[in-house]
Amino acid sequence: MLHKCVALKSDALTEFGVCSKDLSVSILMSLTCVSFQACHSETHIGQYYTLPSAHIRTLFPSGLPWRYQQQVKTFNEACIMVRQPSLEVISYLKKTDYSKPALRYLFYGQKGTGKTISLCHAVHFCYTQGWLVLHIPDAHQWVKNCKELLPSSYNASRFDQPLQATTWLRNFRLTNERFLSKIKTKHRYMWTKREFTEEGSLLGELVDQGISRVKSSSDVVGAVMKELRLQSGQPGSDFHLAVAVDGVNGLWGRSTIKKEDKSVDPEELTLIYNLRKLMRNDWTGGAIIATLSQTGSLYTPKSAYLPQELLGERGFDSMDPFIPVSVPNYSEKEFESCCLYYMDRHWLQHPQSRTEEGKKELVFLSNKNPSMLDRICGFL
Amino acid sequence: MAASISGLLKPWTPRVFLVRWSRYNPYYLEPEVSKEAYSRPATELSAEEKEQRELKTLRPIKAATSGVSSSVFDDPVISKFINMMMEHGNKVLAREIMTQTLENIKKKQVEKYHKASEGEREAIECNPYTIFHQALENCKPVVGLASIQKGGKYYQVPIPLTDNRRRFLAMKWMITECRDNKHRRTHMYEKLSQELLAAFGKEGNVMKKKYELHKMAEANRAYAHYRWW
Repeated sequence: MLHKCVALKSDALTEFGVCSKDLSVSILMSLTCVSFQACHSETHIGQYYTLPSAHIRTLFPSGLPWRYQQQVKTFNEACIMVRQPSLEVISYLKKTDYSKPALRYLFYGQKGTGKTISLCHAVHFCYTQGWLVLHIPDAHQWVKNCKELLPSSYNASRFDQPLQATTWLRNFRLTNERFLSKIKTKHRYMWTKREFTEEGSLLGELVDQGISRVKSSSDVVGAVMKELRLQSGQPGSDFHLAVAVDGVNGLWGRSTIKKEDKSVDPEELTLIYNLRKLMRNDWTGGAIIATLSQTGSLYTPKSAYLPQELLGERGFDSMDPFIPVSVPNYSEKEFESCCLYYMDRHWLQHPQSRTEEGKKELVFLSNKNPSMLDRICGFL
Repeated sequence: MAASISGLLKPWTPRVFLVRWSRYNPYYLEPEVSKEAYSRPATELSAEEKEQRELKTLRPIKAATSGVSSSVFDDPVISKFINMMMEHGNKVLAREIMTQTLENIKKKQVEKYHKASEGEREAIECNPYTIFHQALENCKPVVGLASIQKGGKYYQVPIPLTDNRRRFLAMKWMITECRDNKHRRTHMYEKLSQELLAAFGKEGNVMKKKYELHKMAEANRAYAHYRWW
């Protein structure tokens, strides 16, 4: 049964659909949700919340994990389990005073426990509240496998990455369509001797300039970040800024990009330099949500998952003070809920997987780790 | 050399070792891996099964291979298929391909299921294991051909096949078909899942091969009496 309901807020942009699904097993909870507000209280831990497909297309053109995207395609819907870490961050976001400097939330945990999904959940919350979302899907992609590296036009000692910058600008344009025609720039930017963007022009024009002129796209990214950072807390602007970075430890790590056989420091990359400036909490009117990730990181040991180990000295000092949120493996209740969801979606097909013996085996094989459980249930 | 009547067997070692056969003395019994067999109380068993249990307390048991497990999800047919796909002893890779194949089949069927209307949903089979078993059943030939010499010439004579031989032929055809006759840039699990789904619907190249074998056997029916066993 599907119920689509309009949110209680007066802002017409925050209409979203929420699904209610009744599972046939009465032991565990059913997934009835009436509105976003009611959906996210402590009693709803373990239940599934459906993201509307329109939101998935705009918000996450490339933010979700690969296996989750495949799952969304197979099941024809996108459901996220409501868990303690994301619930905590969402409750803090609801209660913060936005005239104070931006708070930094950091999701950390072992491999495969659901940090990226928690980040996406929090980002979706911000989107439904009408915030401007600055989402970097994977900071590690910016420090490795760079096909084109140009010397920066603005500062001779830095390097530009046109390809990554243009893809990011395209995704940014897709996500924040409605803000592009509302926000105006406060500074004048000169791209070449003849091309410049006047003060007071729309953000949309700035972004289009970056997409069409590939050579200056990294500088455009820097300009966009600067504008948003300056304008977000001001009394005149009516938007909140949510900065979401996945794999934030890549900003302060090492990089594998080589320029003429000399390896490039992340500090010398324009994109990384501007992003680091954004991560400082000297601006108001929003929040910074980040995730640590060992999987994509370079030159870090596989067993490292704590913020101190992955961020390193420089990173920890820059991020300090932040609110660390631990993302653990599934609890008993969450595990049962996940199995029920898979059975409801006809994903757990093996007859033995529905018995007690089978469940005990799944617990043993996956150690209640969300990604391991997903891989094992894939072929069962 | 290995004796026929087990009552006469005693522990011994042979003087001549055959190269590819099992090294075990036939005195050794096969291991019983499933947990359910041991949880049955003595009252439920018939006389032969009680005798078997008696024997197991006296005779030595062979070591279980690493391919079998006491997991509830263990399937001997799937294990056999994985062994046949394995090359150079790389069981990890063969198992990985098998699990990816099962996942791929399930993914395609579940996607079809969720997009179909209410009436069509019952007809769609989503369980990859039933699809695999059914596809293999559909590919098994009923009769095979043997080359028998009579009067200086060799004739292709239709003969009955044992269950093991039929299963082996179905699996062998499936694997060779996927290795040789598909586009080289597709992954093995993709090729296998396409071929298995086709065999489940009684189409595809493997079914064609089975029908051709049947036609040959039908055509050579006249020589059936050349078989003497």
